[in-house]
This record gives sequence, structure tokens and C-alpha cells, in this order.
Amino acid sequence: MTTKKEDEGGASPASASPGPAAEMSRGDILKSMSAGVLALAGLAALAPGRAFAADAGAQGLVDRMRQDLARALKKPAGSRRWAMAIDLKKCIGCRACTVACVSENKTPPGMHYRPVYEEAGGSYPAPKRKYTPRPCMHCEKPACLEACPEKAIKRRDDGIVYVDYDLCKGAQACVSACPYDVPLYDEGKLHTDNTPAVQPYEKAATFEMGVKRSRSAGAAPVNRARKCTYCFHRLDAGMLPACTTTCVGHATFFGDLNDSESLIVELSKSGRVQRLKESAGTKPTTFYLV
Amino acid sequence: MANDKPILDPKLKLTRRCLLKSSAFLGGSALLSSMLGRSQALAEAGSLSAQDRYELADIRNQIQTVCMQCNTGCGIKAKIIDGVLAKIEGNPYSPWTKSPHLPYATPLADIATIDGAICPKGQAGLQHAYDPYRIVKVLKRAGRRGEGKWVSIDFHKAIKEIVKGGKLFKNVPGEESREVTGLKDLYAVKDPGVAKDLAAAAKKVVKKEMTPAEFRHKFSDHLDSLIDPDKPDLGPKNNQFAFVWGRLKAGRGELIRRFTSDAFGSVNAHGHTTVCQGSLYFTGKAMSEQYQYDEKDKKVKWTGGQKFFWEVDDLNAEFVLYAGVSPMEGNYLSYRAPRIMDGVASGRLKFAVVDPRFSSLASKAWKWLPNKPGTEGAFALGITRWIMDNKRYDAKALANANKAAAAADKESTWTNACWLIKLDKEGHPGEFLRASEIGTAKETRKAKDGTEYEFDRLVVMQGGKPAAFDPYDEKNAVEGDLIVDGEVNGIKVKSSLKLLQESAGEKTVAEWAEVAGVSAADLEEVAREFTSHGKKAVADIHRGVSQHTNGYYNCHAMFTLNLLVGNFDWKGGLIKASTYDIMGEKAKGPFDLKKFHPLKANPFGVDIIRANSKYEDSSLFTGYPAKRPWFPLASDIYQEIVPSLGDAYPYPVKAMILYMGTPVYSLPAGHTNAKIMADVEKLPLLVTSDITIGETSVYADYIFPDLTYLERWEFHGSHPTIAQKVQPVRQPAIAPLVETIKLKGQEMPICLESMILALALELDLAGFGMDGFKDGMSFYHPDEYYLRMVANLAFGEKEDGSAAVPDASGEEMRIFLDARRHLPKSVFDARRWEKIVGEKLWPKVVYVLNRGGRFQDMEKSYDGDMVANKYASLANMYCEKTGATKNSMTGKKFHGIASYVPPALDCLGKPLPDDGFPLQLITYRSAYHTKSRTVSNYWLLDLQDENGFLLNPDDASRFGFKDGDRAKVVSASNPEGVWDLGLAGKKPMIGRVIVTEGIRPGVTGFSLGWGHWAYGANDVEVDGRTIKGDPRRGKGVHANAAIRVDPHLGNVCLSDLIGASAVFYDTRVRLEKV
Repeated sequence: MTTKKEDEGGASPASASPGPAAEMSRGDILKSMSAGVLALAGLAALAPGRAFAADAGAQGLVDRMRQDLARALKKPAGSRRWAMAIDLKKCIGCRACTVACVSENKTPPGMHYRPVYEEAGGSYPAPKRKYTPRPCMHCEKPACLEACPEKAIKRRDDGIVYVDYDLCKGAQACVSACPYDVPLYDEGKLHTDNTPAVQPYEKAATFEMGVKRSRSAGAAPVNRARKCTYCFHRLDAGMLPACTTTCVGHATFFGDLNDSESLIVELSKSGRVQRLKESAGTKPTTFYLV
Repeated sequence: MANDKPILDPKLKLTRRCLLKSSAFLGGSALLSSMLGRSQALAEAGSLSAQDRYELADIRNQIQTVCMQCNTGCGIKAKIIDGVLAKIEGNPYSPWTKSPHLPYATPLADIATIDGAICPKGQAGLQHAYDPYRIVKVLKRAGRRGEGKWVSIDFHKAIKEIVKGGKLFKNVPGEESREVTGLKDLYAVKDPGVAKDLAAAAKKVVKKEMTPAEFRHKFSDHLDSLIDPDKPDLGPKNNQFAFVWGRLKAGRGELIRRFTSDAFGSVNAHGHTTVCQGSLYFTGKAMSEQYQYDEKDKKVKWTGGQKFFWEVDDLNAEFVLYAGVSPMEGNYLSYRAPRIMDGVASGRLKFAVVDPRFSSLASKAWKWLPNKPGTEGAFALGITRWIMDNKRYDAKALANANKAAAAADKESTWTNACWLIKLDKEGHPGEFLRASEIGTAKETRKAKDGTEYEFDRLVVMQGGKPAAFDPYDEKNAVEGDLIVDGEVNGIKVKSSLKLLQESAGEKTVAEWAEVAGVSAADLEEVAREFTSHGKKAVADIHRGVSQHTNGYYNCHAMFTLNLLVGNFDWKGGLIKASTYDIMGEKAKGPFDLKKFHPLKANPFGVDIIRANSKYEDSSLFTGYPAKRPWFPLASDIYQEIVPSLGDAYPYPVKAMILYMGTPVYSLPAGHTNAKIMADVEKLPLLVTSDITIGETSVYADYIFPDLTYLERWEFHGSHPTIAQKVQPVRQPAIAPLVETIKLKGQEMPICLESMILALALELDLAGFGMDGFKDGMSFYHPDEYYLRMVANLAFGEKEDGSAAVPDASGEEMRIFLDARRHLPKSVFDARRWEKIVGEKLWPKVVYVLNRGGRFQDMEKSYDGDMVANKYASLANMYCEKTGATKNSMTGKKFHGIASYVPPALDCLGKPLPDDGFPLQLITYRSAYHTKSRTVSNYWLLDLQDENGFLLNPDDASRFGFKDGDRAKVVSASNPEGVWDLGLAGKKPMIGRVIVTEGIRPGVTGFSLGWGHWAYGANDVEVDGRTIKGDPRRGKGVHANAAIRVDPHLGNVCLSDLIGASAVFYDTRVRLEKV
């Protein structure tokens, strides 16, 4: 099967400034994935079967995750283990998640915490297409954390890996260290630069990591490395991450791996689990259903 | 030029204020610490919870309203911080964004942390409002049309100029002495009584019951008021004013009609239906026509057809044939995608996709069937042939001739499959056989209005013997033989199903498959699957089926498949939209707004697009072909508006207002419109209501800035795939970013409403201003109209008030007020609002507004195995009205039964001579752009640099292209491959070649929304200053100008002459290397 990244509709990885020293581009990862993930998912997509019992029409997958979340939040913080699952059979490649995340975190032009990659295979009249959302993997052994000279990247007890903007000095070692090209550097650009007027939404308050901020030159998050936080400011407020909330294909799942009753645990046992580039040894928490 | 104030800097004041606020917060300035509010104070006290810290989760920062990034109308939750819309999410009360949606009774405070899901366009919607290229003042043309030179002008001065006319553009070279006719001179017939008499006499003149001389004599005082006294059926000069719109929803729709038709008295109020899916709507209309008493004509006829269509209940269907529909990229994404994907994941749903392009939907399908564009009818008839041959139709349902028979089978709908149709000498079907023709007397009945009329029953065959019946009889069940080919009283007859069998029998399954360009095995497999799921199998269609010259026939053939399996009104079957009344008609109050009009005009005459009009019944009839096509079975024929006035057929138009429409950009061959609009002789006065200087506003004489969907009122209505009865309410969520004006002492933003109100007051039209609604009830502010619509919605559809919503609780009332603290009094003033609806209804109005509309609960939307909101009527297999109507260009009758007619014919029915153009051009939508209005959304532009031309690898190698090459698209009607924009120059249609396995060989396609040359993409001059355009907005290609111009008419795209679709997909093109 031939595989190539289809330009049409693809969130261009080039625009996500992978950093000069990146040894492995996102394209390479796609290639390594495609041998496994695409082949499986592509074929599976053409033969719909019972993946898991829930048909959200009646039960409401989002409602169930909200209940899971509420239960998890009642536990001591240290006993939770957050994880995200993405069902590649259900992802329709619409990028609602990508834009919801941009809006939630007011990321600058070219910076997507959660791009969606598009791969094409097969040949006419039986082509195949696969969409792969790519949030942070929130690794158990994060390469970014180890690489940071300022120890600005931290991993919480619940598994969330984040950049402490107060410590980050913009060295960008994480940008090159991450095998998934996740951390990106914020150069301080605005979407409405070079237009008749910078628009107020650019500087509207954000609450990343529970801190109310508004973009201004030099102040965090400008000149910092940035990445997906699983929206833990939303989790703390009892809300699912922005991407999960707005996933219109019902393809993104989130919950506490330490809760045996949760949907995320059910999915983790589905036999369809695959992790991205496990050979990198970083032990990703985010997993895919193929 | 002396105006120093910046014009294009939208909302200058607000921006500055916001920036101050933000910078103050970051700098920790003591000056503004008082504005930080509750959360900051609590944080300092160390008692702030996570939810308090996350201010977007504070219900007092949230307003439920309705998206309009496309026409889906998803409920949204606007989250506002410090007066700025910071984030948009889904409204969880709305069935559009959450599945299942929250019960309507859920207390408002409970939804603070519950958001629904919306698509990327919806997420980016705040960039539609906060667009640096929005206009905030009225602009007047300062150069020639299209030259891009403007001056700002006082709102009231502009209104006066438009009403009075005169040498309005004497400073523009070439127009020094041009006298513009103002609206006051077109407001010719003012007395509704006179209009009524003129209309009645005009009818007599056409019928030759009155001579033109007699007419002239009788109305000698009024001849000056008519467009042509010798052709009085063209109507009064009032008709030379047209109000035309693009995207329009209820509320604003009622206001425009109130102004144009009820007050000004013009018949020319036209929408854009046909550019979207005209033939789909008018197939729905034909199939829903009923054989009943018509109050206007006082007799029984085929009448009451609804301009609507059906769609699948995605939530419960088991098998769907999706044809020419793209619910994962085009409209409906937010709610159809989860229903479809959950259905696939659980194993409930299996589906096939008929589409020449491998859409996102197709990538998830059981079977992708890349057909030849325009052959969807052949595909459907191939399935029909298989179903007929194998007797896989629902014979039990189809045998029901009337309501009682249907009810006996627990069906809510029935068809005319077994009814008998008379054949002419050549064997062509005509009208249904009437009972009086077989010796059964007509019945005399009495209508509700007291009129006595005759009811002639219809006839079926029962075991070879004719039987008369009433289709609506609820007591006497009548069934009929299905396949009938015989004679009754010497009259040759066939049943509808027999006609269908013959139509489908014109070719074998294999031959139909070949026409459609699919394999016969695939077609048969789909047919078998389609007939293996009972009522839960559906053929679901949209633009790809309807936007062809044979669009109506394609749609009818596809919908006929649904008749064959009898899936109408069934859970998981084919369903229709249901909305709550906002006009107070059903409950006759509390505000019966249609009656709130002191003196309604009586507009009359043929309209400029010949909608719902028969050529044969007009004074313009001179044999075939007509000068331009007439559309007796359709309305809102968008593509005909500007070309018709360009040809002054049926008469010249002197002034036009265009609201939220951009025919130049959105119509196929829209460049033909640009050429006409640039000509001040053909269209002497053009006013647009727009938010930017868009591709069509470029040609306007005046542009009135409008509010975006985030700043205004509207009632968005529903779509057939929503099973619930609903009415989403769009309401102001942010302060208007345009200038505020005063009208009779009341402040309001410059917008569509204030423009209409000001024009009406200046013209002194009835229905506006002092006592505008009725004695003692004036109409000076838009809120006086819209809030009463909300009150009607809150009151419900029962006269006794038993269907009213509850009162908002004290807590909900407080949240309501808090959430609107950032809105200026010109927009939101609780006291003023309460006064408009009255003290009693006010808490109910608040209850509805807090929820962003009214939505039926999920559990109430199904009734056992059926939907609760039913069509519950006759659905026509044979459309007698269509079959009895003549094509105005050929004089031949249309077909009443589903038939296949090839696509790509000109208006005379001739094939297009397009040899040398080897590719067929289609358009499509990506998930992140709507046609013409998302280019300001930089978050979306950041997802994809540009679009391009899809090309199959076979074609790429055949024509020597590789992925990434650049190509120009040319066609027979645009051999140069350019947008010829007159003074605005020429824009070549050049795009990137995208080589993909996901397109049928021989077909190329581009996604819509790209390649702008206005809407902030170009430089414009305002008040002598140049505003630089943003090159990001001009990227990609918009190839509509390559789409075929009708060779006979020369200034319009191709059209379907029945369903009136503007034809997008029947053009042959060539890609040339550049």
C-alpha cells in the first residue's frame, strides 16, 4: 500500500516549527506509524463491526465521561491517572479539536497543540484515508522533561506533563527532544498582526495551568515553549479537555485510568489499543484505538 | 475626504477599551483593579475554587445563542470575559451539539460546566465578528462601480439620498448628470384598494376579458403608476424596487417581507434557495402537494405543497444511501457526524456513499460509489429496476390509496402508487382519473370559509374493477391494485407504480449502472441492502443530486426509493423538520404579529424572476422559447435575479437592496452578475447590507454595515435530520461593533433593521413608526418585533397558555441580567425589554433566552417506532402538477413520474458543445470553510494554506501534472480562465494541483471558500486613505467563473427549469499548466 501525506486539508506540520535540530520529523513518524497503524485502521474502517457497546445516541458517551470525571475529582489528586484515548475509526478529520484548543489557549499563528494528520493510501476506486489527532502524549518518561536545562517541564502525580512558564527561558531543548514534536516555541505573533487592527480576542484572558493571563510582549506564554496540558485548568473546574468536549465524531475519550469503572479503562482493554512510536521508550499515556 | 476618523477600524472604541483592560490586568495597574471583579477579590482572599478561577466556567459569563458560520444553526454558548467574546462552545440544551441534549427543564446554573460540541467553523466564529476588515459606518461609492473608492456618509443622509434620489453621484466621472430614481418615486401605488382593483383588471386583460383600451379608460388616473399600462400584469412601479437576500433566517425574514411586500408593495422579495439546493426543495414541494380545497382559488386542486425536503433520522437508521451529501465536511457536521460515527462504532449503521469525490464520509463508508456527476437519477432508477424486478418494495404500504388504509397499517403517510392516471393518444400520462369520469358523481362540500365546492374523487383498481375514493378519508380504507395497465370507460389508464416500473424498465440494471458509471454488482448489492432493513433504510440526498440541469428528476428518483420502502415518519427512516411558531398564529397570540399591521399593501404582477408563474398565463407570451425561462414550480431563483434585470425582462429594475448575499462570489458563473452590476444603466441604484466590502458589495452605491450573528436577533429554525420540535433563538451576545445611531430618539446600532426602519419612516410606510403595529403600539426599535416573537415562542402554541414554558426563577433572572452586563442599553435594557413583552410574559421570555431557544426533549421526540413530529400526509409518487406544467423554453410538458434525463443541457434542452474540455468540474466543502464568509477566520486559514484542483493520478499523468503543480482552469464559456471584474481587473483562476486517489478519473474539484479578491483581500480607498488588504485572504482558487454560462442566454449559469437549481456540476473544463 502506498502512503503519503495528503496536502489537502492537512494541518501542515511545517507550520508548527519543529525546530532546527529535530532529528525525526512528524513525517517520519507517520511513516513509522503507517506500517502498523494505518494498515490496521484502514482495513478495519472498511469493515464496520462492534467496537464497543456504547451507541451514544441512547447513552451519551460524553455524559458518561463527565460522570467519570466527577468521580475522579472526588479522589485525592495523587491517586488519579489521567489518560486520553483517540478512536481512529471514528475520527473524521474535521479539526474541531484543533481549533477548540487554539481558542481555549489562544495559541499564536502556526501553533497547534493538537494538529490532525492526514494519511492517504490505497488506490482508486478503493482509496483509504486516516486522520490522526496528535495531542501531547503525556509520557511517563518524557524526553522533553529530561532535556530541559531549566527543569521547567514537570510531570504531576496524575501524569500530566506541563511547561512551567515561570521557569521556562525559551531554550527550546524540549522542542528538539520530543519524539512527537509536541512542544512548540511561542514567538509572540498574533493572528491579526499586519491588519488594520489587532483584535480583542487575541488578548482575551486564558487560564492555562490555572493562571489567568493575557498575551503581551515578553510576558508568558510569549517566548516560552508551549504544549498540550490536557486542559488541566478545565479538569480542575470539573470539565473535560476542550478537544474532548468538542470532538464531533465522538472519537476522543478522557478519564482516570485508576478507576476501573471508567470508560477510558474499558477502552484500554478493548484489544484495539496502540501507542505511538513506543520504540522511543517514553511510555506515552495518550493512546489510540485502531 | 475631510473625515479623519478611521472607517475600517471596526469597533475602535471597544478595541481600545479592551486593550486597556487587558494591559491593565497584566500590568497589575491599580487604576483598573476595581474591574477585576469577584474572582480576583476571592483569589486574594485565598478562597477561590478552581471553577471560580476558570472564569469561562462562570454561568454569568455565558450566553446561549445560535451559530451562523454555516446554515446549520448549532446552539452555541458564547463565553465572555471583560466584554470580549473569548470562547465559543456548544449549547447543551440544543440537540445540535449534544447527544442526547439536556432536558429543557435543567436549571441554567447546572450548565455552567457542560458544553456541547461544535465544528471548527463554529469554534472560530468569534473571528467573524472581530474582523479587522469589518465596516462600522455607511459607505458611499466615490468612484466608478468596482473601482474600490468610498467615502463615509452619515447614516441619515444616506437614507435621505436613497429615498429622494437625484444626481447622487455627480462627483463620479461619467455620472455627472445621471439622475437616480429614489425609492419615493418607485413607491407609486400607495392605496391597497387601488392595487387590488388594478390586479383584478390586469388578470382580465391577460385573459382577454377586458381590452387594454378599456383598462386604460377605467384606470386613467393610475396609468403613471404602472410599469407598462399596456401590460398591466407586470404590476405597479413598486415592483421596480427589489429586496434580495443571501442567508436569511426567520425574524429578519419577516421584517424584510413586512417592508418590501406588506408596506412598499413590491412583489420582488427574493431569496437565494436555488444556489443551495433549489431542486431538492422543489422536489419536496411537488411530492407534498395535496389534492384539496384551495382557499384562494375556491376549488379543489393540487395545492399546499411545502417548500421543504426530508432527510434521514441518522440517530436510528440501519442503512443509509448517502448521495451527493457531505455531512462530515459541509453543513450539519456538529450533530450528524456523532450520530453516524456512533452508529458505525456500535454496529447499528451501515452506509454507502454516492459521490465522485472520496469525502470524509466516504472514507468511513461500507461502499464508496464514485458516480459520474449528474447521473444520480440513473443510479436511483437502477435500484428501482432491481426492486421492481425482485418485488422488494413494501407492497402493503404502497397499496394504501388513502389515509384510512394507511392508518389500518399503522402508517402515517401514504402514496399515490395505486392511483390511476389517464394516458393520452400517444400513451403519455396526464392527469389522475377522476371519479366523475367513470360515472361517480362529484360531491358537494362546504369549506371552512363557507364556500360550497365540488370534490371529484380519484380512482383505483381493485381486482380489475375501478373504485372511487377520497385520499383523506379517515373512515373508509381504500386499497388498490399496484400494477395497472388497462382501460376504464374507454379511457386508457395506468397506475403510478406501473409508470415507475416502465420508467425504470427503460434500461436494465447493468445499463443503468453504466450510465451512472458504477458497477452493476455494486448497484445490486446496494439495492439488496437498501431493501433489507425494513423502514430503517433511507436514501438521503443533497446538493450533489440537485445542482444539475436534471436536478429535480434526480431528486425525485432518489426520494421515490424512499416511497418504495415506505420509510416516511418512521424512527430511523425519512423525517422532516418541525419548528415552534414565533408569529403567534397558532395560539392567536399573545402577539398575533402577522395581523399587527394597520394597512397591508396588495402587491401584484409577475416578479422579475418569473417565480411560480406560467409563461402561458402572461401578457408576455409570444410562443416558445420565452426570452428567458419561467419557473412555474419554483421560487427564490437566485441566479435569475441580476441577469433578468440585466435584460430588463420582464421589466427594468430601478433599485435593489441586497442583504447578506454575494451572488458574484457564490453563484456559478457569478462573474456574469458582476458585469451587470457594474453597469449603472442596468441597475441604477444598488444598496447592500454587509459586514465588509465583499465581492458583491464592491459594486454597491451604498453599503450599510450590519451586525454579525453574534450581535443580533434571529430565529434559526431547523433541519429535517433534527427529530425534535425546536426553535433556536439567536440573540445579542456581544456589544455591537458598528456605530450607533438615533432613530426618533431611540438608540440602535447601524444594521439591517435600522436601515429598514429608517427607510420606512422616511417613506412614511404603513406598518412602521407611530402606531406601526396597531393603535397605540408603535414600531421604532427592532426589539419591539423580535422580543414579541420570543414571547410567542415562550407562550407556546395553545390559546389557553397551557403550552407555555415555566417562569425563570429568581436565580435564573439574576444570571440573565448578570450575563448581559456588558451590553449597552441600545441593545439590552431589561426595563425596556420587559415593557415590550409585558410583566407577565417577561419571566417566560427570560427562560427561553437563557436556553438559547425552545427545544423538545429527546424522550418526547419519538412515538414508539415512529417520530413524534410527523409529516403524516400523502407523498406523491406521481406528481400531477409537474406533469401538467410546460417548459417555457420548449413548450413540452415535464414528467410526473421519476425519470432519467441526462444532465448538462442548456435552457433549450440541447447538449453543450464542450469537446476539448476533458474534465468535469465539481465543487465541495472542507470542514473548515463555508462558501463566502469564513476567510476572516485566521484560525481556520491556519489549518490549510490554500485549496486546489483535485486530480486522479490517471488524469494527472494523462495531462502531465504532478502534485503541487499550478494550473489554470478554463472552460468553453471562460476560455481565458479569469474573473473579469471590470474596473477591479482580472483575476486568473489558478490553483495548485492535488493528485489524489480520492476522485473519479475525468472529474476535478475544488473546495469552496478560497481565492477572495475582496472581503479584506484587496486594497480599498476610504475617505482618501488606502486600507491595505491582507494577502492571506486571497490565497487559493475560486473557480466559479469557469462554471458553464448558458449558451442561449449568455449571462447566467445553467439552470434546472423545474426545480430551478443553479447548476454547479455540469461543466466540462481543462486544466492548463502555468
